[in-house]
Amino acid sequence: MRKFVLLSVLLLLTIAACTPVVSTLSPTVTEPAPVEVEATFTAAAPEPTPTAVELIPMTFMAGYKPQANLPFVGVYVAKAKGFFAEEGLDVTVEHSAGQGQHLQLLSAGTVQVTNQDAAVLLQRRADPGLPLVAFALIGQKGQQAYAALKSSGIESPKDWEGHTVGYKGTPPPDLFALLSAAGADPEKIELVNVGFDPRLLTEGTIDVYPVFKSNEPFMIESWGYELNLWAAEDYGVPSLGLTYVTSEDILRNQPELLTRFLRAALRGIQYAAENPAEAIDITLTYTGPETDAAHMRFMLDAELVDAQSDLTTENGWGWQTAEQWQALADMLKAQGLPVEEDINGAFTTQILEAAREN
Amino acid sequence: MNGSRKSGWIALAIVLVFFSVWEAAVRFFEVPVYILPAPSRALATLIANPNLYLEATALTLGESLAGLGIGVLAGGLLAVLLIMLPGLEGGVMTLAILMKSTPLVAIAPLLTIWLGFGVVPKIVITALMTFFPVLVNVLSGLQRVDPALTDLFHSWNASRWEVFRHLRLPTALPFVFAALKISAPLAMIGAVVAEWTGASGGLGRTMWLAYTNLNLPYLFAAIFILAAAGMLLFRLLAWLERKVVFWLPANREN
Repeated sequence: MRKFVLLSVLLLLTIAACTPVVSTLSPTVTEPAPVEVEATFTAAAPEPTPTAVELIPMTFMAGYKPQANLPFVGVYVAKAKGFFAEEGLDVTVEHSAGQGQHLQLLSAGTVQVTNQDAAVLLQRRADPGLPLVAFALIGQKGQQAYAALKSSGIESPKDWEGHTVGYKGTPPPDLFALLSAAGADPEKIELVNVGFDPRLLTEGTIDVYPVFKSNEPFMIESWGYELNLWAAEDYGVPSLGLTYVTSEDILRNQPELLTRFLRAALRGIQYAAENPAEAIDITLTYTGPETDAAHMRFMLDAELVDAQSDLTTENGWGWQTAEQWQALADMLKAQGLPVEEDINGAFTTQILEAAREN
Repeated sequence: MNGSRKSGWIALAIVLVFFSVWEAAVRFFEVPVYILPAPSRALATLIANPNLYLEATALTLGESLAGLGIGVLAGGLLAVLLIMLPGLEGGVMTLAILMKSTPLVAIAPLLTIWLGFGVVPKIVITALMTFFPVLVNVLSGLQRVDPALTDLFHSWNASRWEVFRHLRLPTALPFVFAALKISAPLAMIGAVVAEWTGASGGLGRTMWLAYTNLNLPYLFAAIFILAAAGMLLFRLLAWLERKVVFWLPANREN
């Protein structure tokens, strides 16, 4: 009997002992209540004063781990520098593990804004029909490029023939477009699914590997290798990068919330462009010491370059047009990928325009 | 006592040899750190970031133990219920196996939708992972009663509770410990897997960040902690088993 009591007490103690740990270490537990957000917001809408006592809570979920992707940095900076607070927003930042959870949570209304690659957004709208809308196009060019070691002697996509090209999950849609634009024969290339592991390139397991321009090249070069890189846009293949995304529901019911969010986030991006070192310091508060500061700086600098185009020079960060989206959709369609007939539901300039007007 | 001390030294020697060979191989073949770090390098990373690993370990261990506690209680209570109402066994076990066969990473986002971004979904995943081995073990333990003893208890006019308390429960205790020894390391894995699918803290998050940056010393430092924690938990349970189930021959060497 005594032994049994001892056992039960120990078990209870264990549970009791770990409870405080759990509660003290969970400062990020949030209870997003979209309904309440909406109610508070409508009440505050006629008076969009930054002095509002009560900040409106909302959640931004970065589409991947904490790192210096420009849409993430815009939010990190806007939060740290009080730009969101000046817009009357209390933004909670969450991070997706990068397997589409952010799109699922956005569609479910658990988060109000996330970010997504434009080409993936078009495909997910068509299949399985997620109600995603891009309200700012931060990456004016695609994020991906194909890399080969300089020492491999592969000088152009034509040289990929007879070699092994890796891909992550599914072959990127611009791969075949790039091959045909470069006059290479896809039949002579061996495609293998390799997942995320740039070591396969340096170890010689594969000859060509798709990389994010702002990410893996830094790693691989820091290991002492030199790379040749090819990007779709260099061959006239249309490509677009990361967008700020919301759901059709939130766009319809809370456009003012999105406008305030975007105004602050674009201010954050502008601030990061002017003060990249400080922006990286802020970013590092999210990434933790597991992440290399120089790597993050490389990422930010690369993405700041790709975030600028003639369009953004004229209209500001994140601008987008139907022509850009149509060209991307046409490219995807030509590759046999699912895309809606009408691309106008996939993006909106309404929030950009409202944010620009103040 | 002498024998157990001796086996302890042997265990330590084997572990030391393992790590020495690893260390020597990495140095001799000049394996790049992004392929496989030397254990000394992982250990140095661990020592250089005490707060990072302390906080991450506390969180993951807290989630594991809370999930394990819930899983053990739920599995144990359900097993008792099935003994009381044997008619339910077929249906409940089918459901439990269905749950067990569900890859938890696939339903992790659902748990986030329902339970938020904090630690609760991680605890639930850990509880789901540990629940099944407890249910199966405890149930078969409770069922494995010597029929002769049951007859004896009945001839003494023992109540259902008395049969349970003095006969079924002592018979089941060794099975409870077997279940705990299987579930405790599973609980650590459950918490790490849950954190890997998106978390703002914990060893799983540290490992995921380190892997995506191919910063392997950080990854291996976390693996070392997990391995050590799993081993300590297992040892603790083995010690507790010797104290509680003292009548079993295997535990009676002293």
